[in-house]
Amino acid sequence: MAAVVSVKDLRKRYRRRDPWAVDGVTFELEPGQAFGLLGPNGAGKTSVVKMIAGLLRLDGGEISIFGAPPGDPRARAELGFAPEDPDFPKFLRAREVLDYFARLLGVEEADRKRRITETLAFAGLDGERRQIRRYSKGMKQRLGIAQAILGRPKLLILDEPTADLDPLGRRDVRALIERLKESGVAVLLNSHLLSEVELVCDTVAIMAKGRVLKEGTMSEVVPQGSNLEDVFVQLVEANEPPRDHMPSFISEKGPTQ
Amino acid sequence: MKALAVALYTMLELTRRRLLLVFFAIGAAGIAGLGILLKVFTSAFVGSTSVSGPEGFHGPSPEQMTKLTELSFVNDLISVLGVFALLIAFAIGMTAIYHDLESGSVVAILSKPVSRLEFTLGKVIAAVVGMVLIVGLLSVEARLVMYLFGGGLEDALWFQTLASVANGVTLMLIVLALSAWVNNIVAAIIAFIYNAAAGVVVALHQAMLNGGIPSDNQVLHVGLSVLYWLVPHALVSSAPREIAREEFVIITAGEPNAPPVGEIVSGIPGASSGADILWWLFMVVVLFGLMYLAVRRRQV
Repeated sequence: MAAVVSVKDLRKRYRRRDPWAVDGVTFELEPGQAFGLLGPNGAGKTSVVKMIAGLLRLDGGEISIFGAPPGDPRARAELGFAPEDPDFPKFLRAREVLDYFARLLGVEEADRKRRITETLAFAGLDGERRQIRRYSKGMKQRLGIAQAILGRPKLLILDEPTADLDPLGRRDVRALIERLKESGVAVLLNSHLLSEVELVCDTVAIMAKGRVLKEGTMSEVVPQGSNLEDVFVQLVEANEPPRDHMPSFISEKGPTQ
Repeated sequence: MKALAVALYTMLELTRRRLLLVFFAIGAAGIAGLGILLKVFTSAFVGSTSVSGPEGFHGPSPEQMTKLTELSFVNDLISVLGVFALLIAFAIGMTAIYHDLESGSVVAILSKPVSRLEFTLGKVIAAVVGMVLIVGLLSVEARLVMYLFGGGLEDALWFQTLASVANGVTLMLIVLALSAWVNNIVAAIIAFIYNAAAGVVVALHQAMLNGGIPSDNQVLHVGLSVLYWLVPHALVSSAPREIAREEFVIITAGEPNAPPVGEIVSGIPGASSGADILWWLFMVVVLFGLMYLAVRRRQV
C-alpha cells in the first residue's frame, strides 16, 4: 500500500549553534493507520509535524505527502492539521473561520454550508455567536479540530488535540479518530496522554532530544505485562541524566510562609 | 480566488477593529465640524468686515472674502483628508498581517492549500480596499459638506483624494512590510521617521527647484535629486496650486503692480508627473515584494 506520508532522515535546527531539534527521524504512515508520536517536552514532535504540514523548513532529509513535497498546496489539500494551542483571526466567529478555511480548501458553496453546520455541531460550537477573542482555550482547541476535518483530509495531524479538552471532548476526539481510521484516513497523533495513544494508535514512535528511541506496532513497543507509560518513562530516563525532581523545601517541616 | 478569500475575511476583521472605527468617526466629525465652522464664520463675520490697506487699496469685496474663506476651507479639508489617510494607513498597516503572524492564526491558515504569495496578496488587497473605502467615504462626506456649505474646486478635491489614498497606500505598505519582519509598533515608528525624512527630502527638492538653494553647490543639487528619487515621495494633485492661484487672483485683483500669478504660485508643488506616478507604482511593487519575502521566509 502506498504511504500517505513518508519521512526520511528528517533534520531540523533553529539556529546554527543549537543542537538538532529533530535528528534523523524516519517513519511512514499508511492509509487507515493511526501513528502516535510520543516524547517529553522539547523532544521535537511539534517540529516534525510542522515540517510535514509545510510550516517549517527542513534542514535535512525528505518528506513526501501523497508523493508531493510538503510545501506544495496540492499536498496540503489532502491534509488536515490541528495545531497545539490553536489560534484564529480573533475578530471572526467560529462559522466565519470555517467558511474562510473552506474557501481556502476550495469547497464548493453548496457543500460548504452543510459541512460547516455539521462540523460546528460536532465541535459543540453550533450555537456560539461570540468572536474568537472571547473563546476559552478549550473552545479554540475544539475549533482547531473542527477546521482540521473540514476538508475531508486523507491525512489528519493532531498535535496535542486533547490537552485543553474536558473528558467528554476527549471521548469525542477518540471516537473521531476511530471513525476516520475506518474510512481509510491516516492519523498522526502527538500526545502526552499515553493512555489515549494506547487506545487509538496502531503504531508509535517514542522520541527524545530529536531522535526516535523506539518505533513499532503497539505490541512491539509495549511488552506483555507492561504498559506504554512504563516503557516511555524507562526509555526517556535512560536518555537523560538523572535529576532530583523535588524541590527540597517541599519536605521541610515547620510553619509555612 | 484564495487570495480573495484571505482578503474578504481580513476586511471583515478590519471592520471590527475599534481603532479604525474611532479614526473614521474622528475624521467624519472633523470634516462635518469644518463645514459648520465655515458656515458660522462666513455668516457671522465675512459680510460685515472690510480689509484696510494703503491709500487706493480697496481690498476684497464681501463676495471675494466669502470665496477666500471657502478656498481656505477646501484647503483645510484636503489637509484633514491627508492626515486621516496617514492615520488609517498606520492603523491598517499595524494590524492587517501582524496579528495573524504573531497570534498563531497563520499556522492554521498556511496549513491549508494556499500559497504564501496568495496569502500576502490577499492581505494587501484587503488593506488597500480598506484604505480606499475609508478615505473614499471621508471624501464623499467632504464633497457633501462642500455642496451644503460652499467651497468650489470639486474636481481638485477628487484628485487630491486620489493622491491622499496613493500616499496612504505607500505608507501602509511600508508598515505592513516592516511588521512582517519586526514588531508592529517598531514598524510604525520606523515608518513614521522614514515618512518625516522623506517629507524633508521632498521639501528640500522643491526649494532647490524654486532656486532656494544656491545653484553653484552641484554636490547638494545632485545629492538632493538622487535622494528625491530614492524615497517614496508623496504624490500631489494640482489642488494646492489651484487653490493658491485662485486666492492670489482675488487678493491681487485691481492691483496693477502685482507680480504675475504664475510666478507667485510656482513655489507651490504642482501636480505629480507621470514619472512620479511610475515611481510610486515601482515602490508599491518593491514594498509588496519585501512583504512577500518576509512571509515566505517565516517559519510558523
